[in-house]
Amino acid sequence: MNMQQREEKQLETTIQAILIRVNDLKTAIQALINKLETEYETINWPTFLDNYAILSGHLTGLSKILQVELAASLKSRIVLPLQLSCERDEALARLTEGRVPACTHDLVPDLLRTKPEPQAEQRLQQFNHKASTLSYDTAQKQVAQFTKVVSHVWEIISKGREDWDGDSMRSAGMQPTHSISDTHALVTAVGTGKGLRPGIPSIVPQGVAPGMGPSRGPAPQLGQAAPSLPKAPSAIKTNIKAANQIHPYQR
Amino acid sequence: MAGMSAANAAPITATDSLSQALKANIIPNQEYLLQGSVLDSAVEVLLHRLRGLCDNVDAGPETFDDQEVCFSLRDPNQQAAPLMLRVRKALDYRDMPFQLRYIGQPDLGDKNRPTVVRSSLDIACSGMLIDFLNELGCRIEFEYSVKGYMFRKGRMKITVAKVFKISQGSMPPEPISQSYLVELSVLAPQGQDAIAEDMRAFADQLRPLVQLDKIDYKRLGHIGVT
Repeated sequence: MNMQQREEKQLETTIQAILIRVNDLKTAIQALINKLETEYETINWPTFLDNYAILSGHLTGLSKILQVELAASLKSRIVLPLQLSCERDEALARLTEGRVPACTHDLVPDLLRTKPEPQAEQRLQQFNHKASTLSYDTAQKQVAQFTKVVSHVWEIISKGREDWDGDSMRSAGMQPTHSISDTHALVTAVGTGKGLRPGIPSIVPQGVAPGMGPSRGPAPQLGQAAPSLPKAPSAIKTNIKAANQIHPYQR
Repeated sequence: MAGMSAANAAPITATDSLSQALKANIIPNQEYLLQGSVLDSAVEVLLHRLRGLCDNVDAGPETFDDQEVCFSLRDPNQQAAPLMLRVRKALDYRDMPFQLRYIGQPDLGDKNRPTVVRSSLDIACSGMLIDFLNELGCRIEFEYSVKGYMFRKGRMKITVAKVFKISQGSMPPEPISQSYLVELSVLAPQGQDAIAEDMRAFADQLRPLVQLDKIDYKRLGHIGVT
């Protein structure tokens, strides 16, 4: 008795969960249809595809619920159509929001079907039979062949894309616009000073010995060595040498 | 003792607010960086495209002309790697403060990380800075001048600039290469990795004109400061 109650409760929560998922899916589909009907002039592909992504998300969630945890209790359930009737059933119509007005003979086989359609089932069986009679070697051969075809198509596509990229560049009359080696040279120079280290640094505070007090040298010096200044007196050089010898922290 | 209690009584010291800011992780001390270059012949096209893509288009591109000196501070015991400090000075705006900058080791991460990430701290200083660094025992490693254009796109900064050797005497400054260095960077607090994706998307819009990439100069150069 207790066990039965528990089972019933479990079934109820399962159905509740599925119901929620199905309702989510329904709202998503409704939203998409609504969008298509009202915004068909302004809707763009990304938004449209986003809607599809939502749909497929809901579908995945639904099938996960059905597959994994809860399906066992549902599988053992039997739904038996007790009465078929062509009369309109108000309760049923309300329950299905007007989509199924009556439990009729032509609807029930579709609604209560748990197996694939007979035709599909037959074809599936044929394929299964074919697959089981195939020898291992032939299967391997076919897989290899298929891989070859796929990689060939892949090659064609990527080559086409490369050509297209190149063409679009050429047709725009563009020469190569950047050079990897220049990039490396610039980045290395700025990062590590490669190619920027002269024999003697051009900016050295003039004769700054410790304890000499603040020198007025450095700040203007930084400016004087600037390339934009035409005035670059040769006196600087002699100063630099002097500084090199004097400065206690050099070298 | 009296001094200590006075310090305690002070409502909020600079150290307090700094540590508070550090704790709240609001200090933009991470630089997300992509680098590339464009040949001199194509730089006009790139500038044109950037003007179309970026925010500050009305006034025309912002120019800059800076000189950067890289200092190193060595560990007297030769234990640790030397600390590198960079000083920048605007040559076109003489009254602007000097900029002192520390840049950490670039972290390239794996293939899936869109940009280089490195720590970056900078602060404005007066012209006394050079004296100060010299007194500290810092030594000039190298220097260069960099002249070009700066663009903004949201939080992103894009610079297109020519790098020059500092000229000796009256020689005109000598460019490092026949290309402009192109950098795309964002300063952000730690952990804001989403911005890196935006940068990657922006970089893709500049292709094939410029290819902005994660570049590890350590691996390229093999000229560590020793």
